[in-house]
Amino acid sequence: MLRLWLTGSAFVSGMTILVVLGFLIQASWPLLQSQGLAFVTESEWYPYEQLYGLAPVLVGSFWSILLALLLALPTGLAAAILAAELCGGRGRSIVRFGMELMAGIPSVVYGLLGLWLLLPLLESRLNLLTGRSLLAAGLLLAVMILPTLMVFSEEAIRTVSREQREMALNLGLNWPVRLWRVVLPQAWSGIRVAILLALGRAMGETVAVMLVVGSLDRLPEPFYNLLQPAQTLTSRIGREMAEAAVGSVHWAALIMCGLVLALVAMAISLLAQRGQRP
Amino acid sequence: MIMQTHPLIKPLPRQSRQHHGVEIEGLSLSLADKAILQDISLRLPDAGITTVIGPSGAGKSSLLRCLNGLHQQWQGEILLQRRDVRHWPGGGDLLRRHVGLIGQKPCVFPHSIRANVVFGIQGRRKRRKADGIVETVLKQAALWDEVKHRLHEPAESLSLGQQQRLCIARALAIRPGLILLDEPTASLDPRSKQLIEQSIRQLAGTMPVVCVTHDLEQARRLGGGVIFMCEGRVIEEAACESFFTQPQRLESREFLRWTVCDCD
Amino acid sequence: MTNTRIAMVLVVLLALPALLLPAMSLAYIAYKGIPAFSWDFIFGTDPGSGFGVAGGVFAQLLGSLLLALGAVLVAVPFALGTALYYHLLASAVQRHVLMALMNMLQGIPPIVFGLCGLIVFVHLLHWGVSLASGALILAAVILPMLVLNSITALEQIPFEDTEAARSLGLSHASVIARVWLPRAWPGMLTGLLLGMARALSETAPILFTATVFSGVVWPDSIFAPVTSLQTHIFYLSQEGSDPAAIQAAWGSAVVLIMVVAVFALLARALSRHTNRQSGVLSEGADS
Repeated sequence: MLRLWLTGSAFVSGMTILVVLGFLIQASWPLLQSQGLAFVTESEWYPYEQLYGLAPVLVGSFWSILLALLLALPTGLAAAILAAELCGGRGRSIVRFGMELMAGIPSVVYGLLGLWLLLPLLESRLNLLTGRSLLAAGLLLAVMILPTLMVFSEEAIRTVSREQREMALNLGLNWPVRLWRVVLPQAWSGIRVAILLALGRAMGETVAVMLVVGSLDRLPEPFYNLLQPAQTLTSRIGREMAEAAVGSVHWAALIMCGLVLALVAMAISLLAQRGQRP
Repeated sequence: MIMQTHPLIKPLPRQSRQHHGVEIEGLSLSLADKAILQDISLRLPDAGITTVIGPSGAGKSSLLRCLNGLHQQWQGEILLQRRDVRHWPGGGDLLRRHVGLIGQKPCVFPHSIRANVVFGIQGRRKRRKADGIVETVLKQAALWDEVKHRLHEPAESLSLGQQQRLCIARALAIRPGLILLDEPTASLDPRSKQLIEQSIRQLAGTMPVVCVTHDLEQARRLGGGVIFMCEGRVIEEAACESFFTQPQRLESREFLRWTVCDCD
Repeated sequence: MTNTRIAMVLVVLLALPALLLPAMSLAYIAYKGIPAFSWDFIFGTDPGSGFGVAGGVFAQLLGSLLLALGAVLVAVPFALGTALYYHLLASAVQRHVLMALMNMLQGIPPIVFGLCGLIVFVHLLHWGVSLASGALILAAVILPMLVLNSITALEQIPFEDTEAARSLGLSHASVIARVWLPRAWPGMLTGLLLGMARALSETAPILFTATVFSGVVWPDSIFAPVTSLQTHIFYLSQEGSDPAAIQAAWGSAVVLIMVVAVFALLARALSRHTNRQSGVLSEGADS
């Protein structure tokens, strides 16, 4: 009886991911059947005309995530260095507490902040017609991944052994040199994991992005224009989930977006796990 | 019981030219309300070995760390080659470049052997062009022959004894004026012990070398001066042979006979 | 000396945004949300006018809690069983595979679970938009977290205790019940609380699979839809023309954060308590 419970649970848990993938593949099959792989490079998403381009959302996701990482990494890493090296135990606890607090704020609340604090700010400062854009999404995502980046980087920095630091100190190297040549290189593998985890989080964020990105399925013009409304993988799924007729090719195209999201997220997760092993 | 200072360990007058390597006057150190070092006064020569021996907890390692600047809460005066440690030009970092400290446990960076040796040299270009220095210091540390063909292999692939010699070479690469060793051969095999002692003797020809050791035989082999410490105080300071053959203090005699030292 | 000073100043300056944003965000949310508070707001179930815009959020609060509770009730038996399997019956290869699968599962964005749940529960099984669909989807979202947490909690049990029990001839079930669970239950409870907090924070997966905007206080059955705080905030925030709606959105946000915080803080307090008891220091002491 016990064995049944244990084995059954393990089986179910293990199989969940395969079941999810299986259903996603099966439900997105009609799209491949009707269009082959044309949709990947197709730049138009216009379901009414059978156009299911993936390009706009791939570009949109790419830019918003890149922006988020570029903004969050320097400040998150600096905060981690501050907490790990410059603060006493008290300061470190406060910083960590603040980060855990932020990590606990539900994403829909961030969406609210984005919609009613960030967008007006962007509209007034940058003279935009609407603040809904990849820039807004990137900024919001940056704030959301800061806690992840900071907490995991701080741990990575703290685990660099005291002996290594003392050795460098004994050689007469000052703090910045020790940080740059001893601590950071040795913490790098852990920081890389932190970045991957943050990447995964940014990639999967739906609600907050949905509210501020503009939901316009169109390639940015020019390709680096972050100030126009756009669409990401997650925001497209979120917006059209309720509208697509079940079983239609439109439906299949949406599921395909979900499949792409799942596959990339899994790859990132595997990389992060491999980084954590040594 | 107040200790009587024996005429033999009365400090030599300051005008003497021979003893300016390390001058310590009235050094006291307390950590967490516990007295680690109490009123220590020493004179060490410009060149030569001085071994510091004594039971555990005597404060030997702490003494070294005061010289290095790792401890900063001490009272008293320390002069290295006549320069005040507290007002060292360039600050604590330059002090530590002047004073090389080698600890008991060899600790190497996760880089190649060569990279470890030049690690203390600042400036990437200087490090790249340091081949001459690398060879010199590795020879001084008696490690050159063993690693000259594999300078680019990871330092972690060396044995413990080799790693310790690497640490010595690394410390020498930044041209210190004084070398401190804290039980450098405590966990090593006899051959490494021998090689390191050889290096120490060689180095002592040009600069003051202070070596803390638990191993009385090693202290005897190294020669030079001997400082016997117990419970934070210097009990006796003498030349090696006279210390081991004719210890002046009661506590020294008891220590040499491996009985419990009753000093307070 | 000056190099060090410059570097420290640089680091502090760079770190400032990361340090100030948490405080500022929370302060802003509180500033915007607390004015909406009133007894009616938190406990009123009258949907009021305009599709629940001007009413209380009790129904939504209830819905969120029901969904989270349902998720936990479904996920915990599986998580526990999987963790026990991992430690008791799994071979080294199976452990490796299980870990990899759990890590992969953990990486999947919640919206994907929502999508899959839409296919399977809402349409395939004809449960429709319902509490049951939402609970199961959320269960899948929190499952990997609970599994990994339970595995870690069981790992803390010293091997000697298990060996001692085994050599006394205790069966698997007895070992679990009499040695493992008594020691590991605080860690597992912590995981459970964190699972609740997580389930309360998820919006995307339940948006179109479990919730409707208004009209429900207590669901007729588990196969009926509910309302939730998270989706309530989502809908309200888009009512740009109605300031009362936005106000209600902020207020709901504060309520949601507080509810999540209750579980998160409980979990934290529990884990502190257990760490202290077993003599483990949570912050490494510098010697």
